[in-house]
Amino acid sequence: MVENARSLNIIASLILVVGMIYILGPLYLTLSTASQSYEFMLRNGLAWYPGDQFLANMASIFTETRIPIQMLNSMVVAFSNAAATCVLSFLSAYAIVYFRIRWAGVVFALILATIMLPLDIRVITTYQVASNIFSPLNAVLDATGLNGLIAGIFGTPVQLELSVLNTHFGLVAPLVAHGTGTFLFRQFFLTLPKDLFKAARMDGAGPTRFLFDILLPLSRTSFAALFVLTFLSGWTQYLWPLVGASTPDMQTAVVGLARLVPDSDGQVPDFPMIMAGAVIVSIIPLAMIALLQRYLVQGLVLSEK
Amino acid sequence: MSSDSTLFSNRWLPVLLVAPMMLLIALFFYVPIFQAFYWSFFLERPFGGGSEFVGLDNFARVLADPEFWKAGWRTIIFMVTASSLAVLVPLILAVAADRKIRLSLPARNVLVWPKGVAGASIGVVFAFIFNPFVGILAPLNSIFPGIWAPGINGTDAFITLIAAHVWGGIPFNFVILLAGLQSIPRTMHQAAAMDGAGPWRRIFDVQLPLIMPQLFLTLVLEFTESVTSAFALIDTITNGGPGGATTLLVYKIYMDGFSGYDLSGASTQTAILMVFVIILTAAQFIFLGRRVNYER
Repeated sequence: MVENARSLNIIASLILVVGMIYILGPLYLTLSTASQSYEFMLRNGLAWYPGDQFLANMASIFTETRIPIQMLNSMVVAFSNAAATCVLSFLSAYAIVYFRIRWAGVVFALILATIMLPLDIRVITTYQVASNIFSPLNAVLDATGLNGLIAGIFGTPVQLELSVLNTHFGLVAPLVAHGTGTFLFRQFFLTLPKDLFKAARMDGAGPTRFLFDILLPLSRTSFAALFVLTFLSGWTQYLWPLVGASTPDMQTAVVGLARLVPDSDGQVPDFPMIMAGAVIVSIIPLAMIALLQRYLVQGLVLSEK
Repeated sequence: MSSDSTLFSNRWLPVLLVAPMMLLIALFFYVPIFQAFYWSFFLERPFGGGSEFVGLDNFARVLADPEFWKAGWRTIIFMVTASSLAVLVPLILAVAADRKIRLSLPARNVLVWPKGVAGASIGVVFAFIFNPFVGILAPLNSIFPGIWAPGINGTDAFITLIAAHVWGGIPFNFVILLAGLQSIPRTMHQAAAMDGAGPWRRIFDVQLPLIMPQLFLTLVLEFTESVTSAFALIDTITNGGPGGATTLLVYKIYMDGFSGYDLSGASTQTAILMVFVIILTAAQFIFLGRRVNYER
């Protein structure tokens, strides 16, 4: 700072301490409770200090619940969400920025509009579409009268049916239908110097060669940032996996964790075991944040601009 | 080779490149939105039992339902309180972390951690921490019985929700606001100090006005976020209770649609909520956005 502002620095430090306690406090209490027994919790309530039951609670999560297999589902959903978003966003941003097409603006606006209405709002009808992804096609055929024509010729109208509910594809696809990635790559492409493109053209590079030999290596950081961001968002989804998967073996770990808490009131639930579940479910994304923090921060900042 | 080489001029390649993304977006974004509006004019029977055009009957039914208005009102209260806190708290933290003090680095690290904890997970944790019998406030309850009762008192349940929402909203807003603060040139601070502005004064007259774009953006996104993402918290902390005190619109839509099988009612409320969110975003851009100065 410009001048010596001791009092202000002390206040700032205090604020940061309070902020960190607010963030870490619940995480610490989760961890310490997860290491106590059910009886301890009933006697003393919330555990302020760790006990020795951590492994036992972990073991009961692994043997008595479906969390292990649900962790695999979470892994598949988060990873495919991240990979698909990266690839498809990269390709669509590439087309929008580097090709002379008149509809580029319209397509970009259509993609960007997805940011305004999140999946949680449109969950009811997204569920209906996922229960038969050909329903829009059927509706178009019916509405245009084409189906009447087909029925006249072949004797029966076209009614295709394919449900993606309770499949990994169904859990992932609606998450990928989001504009942040395209936006992020477009912003990045626009910051690249124009001469780069001109030089590549001069050397005779076509669209494919330019994409693989020049754009792809340059975009490595953007890929990493978007990957971390979408992986975390895929892992932490709740409402869509809750309705999109109907059997426990297809649900994601976050949904499985929420299902561990019994609905009925009265008896105090086995909080130590539930907290152990919360630790297990959050450990992978938290490790990712710890290791790849640089990219996460970059992704958050990039997705804004 | 043509002399104009600023862009590729292939005809079908770009179509192929955007096709997969556009197909997914059309199928899982535009069709559901269209269908929500379409169904709001039909009486839809569950399990594909056919449908019948009823005009504005669904809207009349929903708008005449006092539960809808209560849920809508609660949504607005939650939106205003939760999102202003979810911007204000990270703002204060960002201003503090922007100073060159020893704690600033660890704080920047720790404050993004919630990004890795799902809304539902932190909901489960907060439900335990604020449990009236075994939670953090249980000792208080044994001294003053009934002072903290989220299972009975709607306000207590609401406070728990907001505390959890702000917790989860810190990383994004903190990172954005801190990035904004750090992009303010040092010369600005020095010039202001030369003119006799003390550090407190500089926070309000230099820093805050210069991060208006970031502040505006976090607020716009936070408004949408608080309307929708509350679902995971409600479902894990309060289940909409006690007595419906925390049933926000997004939770009511889910209950009506998936528990009550009232597809037309749920679609109609979805349509109304979507229009509300769009109007809100547009209004923020028109009324607030115009006053934000993007020039540096």
